[in-house]
Amino acid sequence: MHMADALLAPAVAATMYAASATAAGVSIHKLKKDDEPSKLPVMAVTSALVFAGQMINYTIPGTGSSGHMCGGMMLSALLGPYAGFLSMIVILAIQCLFFADGGLMALGANCWNMAFYGCFVGYFLIWRPIMNGKWFGEGKSAERARIIAASIIGCIITLQLGAFSVVLETSLSGITELPFGAFCALMQPIHLAIGLVEGLITAAVLVFVHDSRPELLSGVELSEGESAKRSLKTVVAILAVVALVVGGGLSLMASSNPDGLEWALFGNADGGYSTNMGLDEENFGVESSAAEKAGSIQEKTSFLPDYAFPGSESAAGTTVSGIVGSAIVAGAAILICFVGGFFRKRKVRTE
Amino acid sequence: MIEFRNVKFEYEKGKEVLHDMSFRIEKGESVGLIGANGAGKSTIMKLLLGLLQGEGKVLIDGTEVKKETLGEIRAKLGFVLQNSDNQMFMPTVYEDMIFGPLNYGLSREVVDKRVDEVLARLNLEYLKHRYNHKISGGEKRMGAIATILAMEPAAILMDEPTSALDPYNRRLVINTIRELEQTKLIASHDLDMILDTCDRVILISGGRIAADGPAREILSNKELLEANRMELPLRMQ
Amino acid sequence: MKKGIYRMNKMQKALAELSEMDELAARRSPVHTLHPAAKLLTTIVYILVTLSFDKYDLSGIVPMVLWPVLMFTISGVNVRTCFYKLRIVLPLVMAVGLFNPFFDKEIMVSIGGIGVSGGVISMITLMLKGVFCLMASFLLMATTKIDSLCAALRKLHVPAMLVSLLQLTYRYVGVMTEELAVMTEAYHLRAPGQKGIHISAWGSFLGQLLLRSMDRAQELFSSMMLRGYHEHFHYADIDRFRARDALFMAGCILFFVLLRYGNIAQLIGGLVVY
Repeated sequence: MHMADALLAPAVAATMYAASATAAGVSIHKLKKDDEPSKLPVMAVTSALVFAGQMINYTIPGTGSSGHMCGGMMLSALLGPYAGFLSMIVILAIQCLFFADGGLMALGANCWNMAFYGCFVGYFLIWRPIMNGKWFGEGKSAERARIIAASIIGCIITLQLGAFSVVLETSLSGITELPFGAFCALMQPIHLAIGLVEGLITAAVLVFVHDSRPELLSGVELSEGESAKRSLKTVVAILAVVALVVGGGLSLMASSNPDGLEWALFGNADGGYSTNMGLDEENFGVESSAAEKAGSIQEKTSFLPDYAFPGSESAAGTTVSGIVGSAIVAGAAILICFVGGFFRKRKVRTE
Repeated sequence: MIEFRNVKFEYEKGKEVLHDMSFRIEKGESVGLIGANGAGKSTIMKLLLGLLQGEGKVLIDGTEVKKETLGEIRAKLGFVLQNSDNQMFMPTVYEDMIFGPLNYGLSREVVDKRVDEVLARLNLEYLKHRYNHKISGGEKRMGAIATILAMEPAAILMDEPTSALDPYNRRLVINTIRELEQTKLIASHDLDMILDTCDRVILISGGRIAADGPAREILSNKELLEANRMELPLRMQ
Repeated sequence: MKKGIYRMNKMQKALAELSEMDELAARRSPVHTLHPAAKLLTTIVYILVTLSFDKYDLSGIVPMVLWPVLMFTISGVNVRTCFYKLRIVLPLVMAVGLFNPFFDKEIMVSIGGIGVSGGVISMITLMLKGVFCLMASFLLMATTKIDSLCAALRKLHVPAMLVSLLQLTYRYVGVMTEELAVMTEAYHLRAPGQKGIHISAWGSFLGQLLLRSMDRAQELFSSMMLRGYHEHFHYADIDRFRARDALFMAGCILFFVLLRYGNIAQLIGGLVVY
């Protein structure tokens, strides 16, 4: 689910950065307030572990294929939501910096899609309520069953939310012609399967931890008292909300009316759209002559109305010169490469 | 310098791992702490460092180890861990070396001078700006010792300082230990190394002191060692 | 280690990739010695400018290749290593971009009678964005050591806790990956023919290591406490931000703005065509 830089418009990337940075700021504040910088070594070692653990191939019985885990739910179950979120950020940062998995500018979006939901939604709305609830009764095996239920439900829901966000961010960035609904129809079912596998792996590991060192699981010990009574209701309420969100997404998907979609996405966002997209308007709305033609294409394909492009008939001449110019630039670049020994293996000079 | 007075300790209720233990280590002594796995060597180390609290009194330089004195105690003790990866957690050797002294409030200039002195003394100048994740096991162990020396502790505790080292690096570490003038307490199964570095040995068995005396004497006592699941050092065979 | 005879598992490959980046960053060149904050900010601006190009603005985006090419050349970093990493970025970008030609069939340009649809153009533009952004961030990491980058992040007021966590995690990524690599190898030696971890070991495989890691974390924390840790990490100082760093930044950004607002490709092309 790692998004690449290319899939995001600058405004979307910046918005997601702001959102993730806020969540990170809250997390840091919380951890500091609870005087938990002492958690730092545990966080570091656990995130290093999860980083490595993501590379394990898990054979999925009966399919011949293998699955992987991403670890957001697992981290928040082990470290709590705040420490889990920060750990996830660090994992994603290392992946993007050293392995090109994700991108420097997409980091904000990736943190949101993969860490925020898994850590915060997964922890507060799923893990803690279920673990402190009364599902499956009392005793050790009931606890195990709760871990399995929480892991699977948590992973599926948080991955669905993550996948939906990917679709939303990509579509808002206006880089794909794939209609929003079709994109959703592609992404959501795939991530249903991925979420299920992730949930099973997470459950397996957490049950193992629970059996050997139950004190390591976070948020489980506060089971007694009033919070426990409320929790089942909370679970039901949350599941209802999630169902609504997912259902809403599905119905949007089904609706082929771009106006309705547009309204649903931006109309009620309180001017958020124009603010968010202000940058694009400035950058892209330059060639007014092209706007008419662009509009006709966009009605069918895209839902970003102010997207113009420099390619109308009147500009045909410039387009040709653009192509020729591009070719010349490419030639120049290749020349630089060869002159500079770009493709040659350099002698290694280390300090 | 180091004193245990009737120390008892249990991890779980009813399962005492140290029974009424008492010993004294004088300033400048080098003491080897030997015993089979689970005898209680690590527990003794942790009690000294205040990582665990037991019954009885643990004294360092006349100060009792307790919550209020931890800062004072730990500034005097250097602990070399068995796993250097856990000790060298900063990006570079230099950053690891300045970590302790700066935390104890020394100025950067003083610390930098110390770091250079220690590295020169151990012939490790080349390691200064190397990455901890890029250096070999032997270099890491030497780096860990340098890290502790930069704190200028009055006493040094070591847990298996020669484990997982090749003969060359093992010898290097042994020579380094021999040259340290501080009070030393070394826990190890490497009895040849203990013989090389310590004048006195304390043998622990089942949470009690089974023997305490000159290293040569204890390490040549075949029956005593074998009764405690150890064997004679190669040099004594 | 002969190819074909000894197949590295995923973790070993990752370790090799990490150490390759470390080695690249330890080299020397005019780019390596630039202030990390200058490089970081310039890279971010480059990526943002690249992303801001319109999806049909193929001729506008092509000249953006000049900056990474120039930087690769000056820094002496081999581009092959960079393109090896494309295997991760490109499929993802392609998966999204490949749909464009099917949905957007309006002919935008015709070259020699063959019509090129908007979808094809937007697909190529998207791919170029992917490649350019990767080149830029690869360059950053290939010419900047991780601790210099962290120092830059601290200078840019990224919270100390996050930066320390990044640095500490990076320190242990190698250690943990190596442990898992060994475990994976041990597993497969006893389970020949199995592609992955069998479901019966799903929990215990990572779980065992997790428990051990918790002990490791405890020991690590002890070792920090014993050396007087209380909340702050002290790092080596990095070089000051000098005039040449500012000059580099200003120059590059000016260059990007020029590429963004003046269509260089069209200008050059115009000289030839008309």
